[in-house]
Amino acid sequence: MPNKTASSRFVFPRWVNYLLPVIVLGGIGGGLYLPVLVGFGFSADTLVVGYAPEQPVPFSHAIHAGELGMDCRYCHTTVEETDFAAIPPTQTCINCHAPGDEAAGIKKQSASLQPVHESHETGQPIEWTMVHTMPDYVYFDHSAHVNRGVSCVECHGRVDTMDVVYRAESMSMSWCLECHRAPEKRLRPVEEVTNLAWDPREHLLANLDEYESGLTPEQRERVDEISRSDAQLVIGEAVKQEYDIHDQMYMVSCSTCHR
Amino acid sequence: MSSLTPNIQGRDYWRSLEEYADTPQFREWMAKAGEPVDPEALKLSRRRFIQVMAASMSLAGLTLTGCRRWPEEKLAPYANRPEGSVPGTTSHYASQIMRGGIATGLLIEAFDGRPIKIEGNPEHPYSLGSTDTWTQASILNMYDPDRSRQVYHGWRQAEGQPRERVASSWEAFEAFAREHFGQRGGQASQRVAVLAEPSDSPSVNAMRQRFTQQFPQASWYEWEPVNRDNELAGARWAFRRSVRPIYHFDRARVIATFDADPLSTHPAAVRHARDWAQTRKQADDTGRMSRVYAVEPTFTLIGSVADERMAVRASQVPQLVQGLAARLGVPGVSDVNLNGSTDFINKLAADLQANPGESIVMVGPDQPAATHALAWAINAHLQNIDSTIDVVEEPGDHDRTLLQQITELTQRMNGGEIDTLLVIGGNPAYDAPADLDFAAAMGQVDTTIRLAEYHDETSQASDWHLPAAHYLEAWGDGRAWDGTVSLQQPLILPLFGGRSAIEILALLSGDEQTQGYDIVRQTIMGSLPRVIERDREGLWRRILHAGVVEGSAYPSSEELSRRVRNLPLEPIPDAASHVAWNQAPQTPTADAELEIVFQADPNVFDGRWANNGWLQELPGPLTKLTWDNAALVSVPDARENGWRQEDVIQLTVNGRTMELPVFVMPGQARGVIVVHLGYGRTSAGQVGNEVGHNTYTLRTSEAMHVAPVTIERGQGRYQLATTQNHHLIDAVGEWAVDKRVGKNAGESGYVIRDMPLQQYVENPQALQRNAHGDLPLQIFDVPYHPEPKREGGPVAFNEPHAWGMSIDMNACTGCNACVVACQAENNVPIVGKDQVLMNREMHWIRIDRYFKGDPTSEDAERPTAIVHQPMMCVHCENAPCEQVCPVNAAVHDTEGLNLQVYNRCVGTRYCSNNCPYKVRRFNYLDYHAKDPRDGGMPKPWPGIPDQQQHTGEHGYDRIRRMQFNPEVTVRMRGVMEKCTYCIQRIAKAKIQAKNEWARGQRDEPLVQEGEVHTACQQACPTRAIVFGDLNKADSTVTLEQQNPRSYGVLNHELNTRPRTRYLAKLRNPAEGVSSS
Repeated sequence: MPNKTASSRFVFPRWVNYLLPVIVLGGIGGGLYLPVLVGFGFSADTLVVGYAPEQPVPFSHAIHAGELGMDCRYCHTTVEETDFAAIPPTQTCINCHAPGDEAAGIKKQSASLQPVHESHETGQPIEWTMVHTMPDYVYFDHSAHVNRGVSCVECHGRVDTMDVVYRAESMSMSWCLECHRAPEKRLRPVEEVTNLAWDPREHLLANLDEYESGLTPEQRERVDEISRSDAQLVIGEAVKQEYDIHDQMYMVSCSTCHR
Repeated sequence: MSSLTPNIQGRDYWRSLEEYADTPQFREWMAKAGEPVDPEALKLSRRRFIQVMAASMSLAGLTLTGCRRWPEEKLAPYANRPEGSVPGTTSHYASQIMRGGIATGLLIEAFDGRPIKIEGNPEHPYSLGSTDTWTQASILNMYDPDRSRQVYHGWRQAEGQPRERVASSWEAFEAFAREHFGQRGGQASQRVAVLAEPSDSPSVNAMRQRFTQQFPQASWYEWEPVNRDNELAGARWAFRRSVRPIYHFDRARVIATFDADPLSTHPAAVRHARDWAQTRKQADDTGRMSRVYAVEPTFTLIGSVADERMAVRASQVPQLVQGLAARLGVPGVSDVNLNGSTDFINKLAADLQANPGESIVMVGPDQPAATHALAWAINAHLQNIDSTIDVVEEPGDHDRTLLQQITELTQRMNGGEIDTLLVIGGNPAYDAPADLDFAAAMGQVDTTIRLAEYHDETSQASDWHLPAAHYLEAWGDGRAWDGTVSLQQPLILPLFGGRSAIEILALLSGDEQTQGYDIVRQTIMGSLPRVIERDREGLWRRILHAGVVEGSAYPSSEELSRRVRNLPLEPIPDAASHVAWNQAPQTPTADAELEIVFQADPNVFDGRWANNGWLQELPGPLTKLTWDNAALVSVPDARENGWRQEDVIQLTVNGRTMELPVFVMPGQARGVIVVHLGYGRTSAGQVGNEVGHNTYTLRTSEAMHVAPVTIERGQGRYQLATTQNHHLIDAVGEWAVDKRVGKNAGESGYVIRDMPLQQYVENPQALQRNAHGDLPLQIFDVPYHPEPKREGGPVAFNEPHAWGMSIDMNACTGCNACVVACQAENNVPIVGKDQVLMNREMHWIRIDRYFKGDPTSEDAERPTAIVHQPMMCVHCENAPCEQVCPVNAAVHDTEGLNLQVYNRCVGTRYCSNNCPYKVRRFNYLDYHAKDPRDGGMPKPWPGIPDQQQHTGEHGYDRIRRMQFNPEVTVRMRGVMEKCTYCIQRIAKAKIQAKNEWARGQRDEPLVQEGEVHTACQQACPTRAIVFGDLNKADSTVTLEQQNPRSYGVLNHELNTRPRTRYLAKLRNPAEGVSSS
């Protein structure tokens, strides 16, 4: 029939029917895929962990804090006093790396130290690139943490092994809350805050008298076999008591971090 | 809005005449007030709106693709950190501010070297830790991008173009000055003149002496438009020497003010307020309270808190003072007919006589010298001298009044007698008496040199313009009202290369020592008694640290006080010479005539603060007017002449005419038109240019204070942005409660409670009358139920602290210092007049000024009275805002703070709608980025870059931004905000307390009483605001909340359980006083 041939131009061929399940499955799959992509792709973990910007001076924490064993507070002097752990002034570098004829100049010829010497001479600051930065509506206070037994390592990772400092943690709000909900999983004695290699199990075994009361009878019996996480909990609970850490309701109040 | 209509409803407390009259127009306006946007104001067609929205959507899509890390930020540590400096912390330095030549001591908070907040210096006797509005706002001037940044010399003008300044440099000026002033030294200096503002500063006076040594024939003039000419002339009239009264309001039981305001424009106002408040707060303990009588043409701050008040024409005040003196039996004073005021004056006289040596009679600066002299006589007669009033010698030379000085200077300039004029500070081209035409006279002078912070009207008329340093950038010193020497310590190098007056004077005098530091140190140390040489550095450092020089007050002399006590009562023989001072007792204007009264503006003062956005947008304490001045007229005058609010009228004074909008002011005397000075600036800066009307154009040297005025109706109407009707507390609800539970006439309301003292003493519990009885219920189970920390303490939200506030309405004078302090502390933006008209002002605190009484009544027995109620978020335990927020952005923390989580807020504004106190503010626009003067709505969204994220030229002004408090989030458009109880200060105190405790430096891990002050509390001159921990049984706030005057606004009606409670106002009318 002439009509049939004329109208068939407007009819999809029969094989198109097989596309329907593909489209439906594709729709469902895509619908699942997209949120997953967005959720993981744009999460703080993906975007910021591992961020390691190039700095004007290739300062190696691995050498200074790791090999040489310098305490964090030698340079970041204000960390116990204020909210901000100050980047050291050039003068701190010059204490060891004095240029020219000054006596104790270590590596004074090194080209890498050029910007430091320049800053020392001109008085202009070295412009470091910020690695760890918080949104402006978050009011993190270093002193409130390091004075209560939260170690540098909890947020900054093993800086003493980093040649180039990178962001070890996502520092997203849920990540902060993990600790605010259960601080005992992270707390350690204040003296050990800057000891990045600290091990709770070793610490417990070395100071057994102090923590004995926090152990369960089973743990007490076979204390040598106590796990790392159990040791942390025992120590954490003790520190929590000692520093009168607030309860969970307080710790997760919006006003604890936001103003 | 209409003015009064006959169908007056008779509310007890009302905030505007429209509310009182309750017209249909007002109801309609009220109903509309909650609407987010007035569509007419938006001026956007539907079609355009759709276009904009579509563009926004596509742009939003675009920005999503740019999903990115936060912008890379740089850290620039010191190359060599100064000893004692800790990055990222605040430090405090003592300094001072000058007003009218008188200093007030301050503590300035600096963050990383930037001054960001100003507080009073507790060690300074005229601050005691408090400040006034101007002091609080002065930090904004420091970061004003409009400040002058450049030395200018001369003008150039291209064809058809406006003339332009020619830039120069300090080096060029120094070279010029060496040559120019080198030729005019010694006897050649008779054509040199200096015009400065009066100042008690030791260094300024030392440099003035130095200058006059160098240029012995040069003349030194002083001028300030709001001055104490009459007061000083009155003292000279009485004693033939200048005497300064030092008032002790805390010792006074009866205070009578005649057209005077010791609480606002007086240089010692902050201290006066503190002392006065003491006499009010003692009511709870002693059952006694001071009684304030105020006689004045229009409401002042003291009038608004007066117990007995009478509104009279300013020109009648001299008669009343004379009548009072006669009734008190001051010898040599003849009685006058007081007409309708007899009863009031009799009552006052009886009260004064009953309290010898315990009263203060004060006459204001607008009143003639003779009246001031009479006030001295009255105070001496009442034995107040050396009791409530100490007398000291007024420093400086007051042979001639400032008015005489500027008049003589202008004449000499016009006569060609001056060839070099140096104008230091002030702004005479704008604020000198209009008949002198100072700006034109400046044109007659060959060389005019001008030192000022802004390139203002006077700079427009000068040859050289030199940028002056802000007081936070320069060394200086000053003396308080009682003479205590204080130091002005800079916190930052001059942002725009400005220099101070003393440095310029040193430079012109050819001194080698031209650094402010050296000059001040030399002056101060030179004035001290000699101490051992090696102690001097330590002594200087101690003075710097304290900010004040101890024991440096003016000495009181027995000779002087004897002289004042035994004042010669008849006019002294050469009285005729004083008449020339313009100060003969002024003749009252006839009853049929209208008179105009010129007053300093409560916000921009004499115009010097015109470019300060915080002050421009500050609702005036009594008018609640922003961004404008108006002709304040009385209710009877308005009714009789048919003037409505915002009508334009034409005022003619001595042949000079100007148009002003009408503001109908309840409680103002019939026949008086009050105008405020300081508006209509033409060269103030971006914020202050052409705001309001320049009333100096009516003020001539014949009529500096009061003058007859004729009024004609002007053209059209002029919109005034007054906030008196904004954010009305649940007026409908109050009416409904009245209807249900009934209220007797004359009883206190639910929002405001006040009571006569006598009644309160008899039955203190009478103020606790509640509509529904006590309902200690929580609507919801609090998710958190610790035990109360003390008996009767808060049972919810008390872990580990329970913050609360108490506001004493009996001590509040409505001065507005808290409003500006809050704005400075909390990064609160200004919005501009057009936005204020849309109810969009952002202040976290507003001071509700309620009138009481019948505004149409002219019955002196039932005058209009005022109650000031500072209102900010009251932090309800049962918060209505929290119950309606769909995204949980309004939540409580464990200490009772009602939080607003900006990053959760999506801007539904439900919370604001449901808030009975109307204290929530919505960021309709990015106000920090918006120009307040751009007129109405800015360009729609795509036109505004995301200002907060920009650090470059599109961001907030780089200089203005330096003032922001880094501890407080700068809110973006689209979020709700409100009072946080200064959460940043709480957090800081908590962290500090616990750090110290953890290090074994203190016993208590928690914050103790007195360790947290909110910004409003700290600024308050009367200490009316108290903040603290309700968990502590002995904290001030707990004690105040247990006071029988304490009540929660709307608590018993709505069961909101507010954490901020108010102390009811007490009045002390003179009912028991027998009028003889």
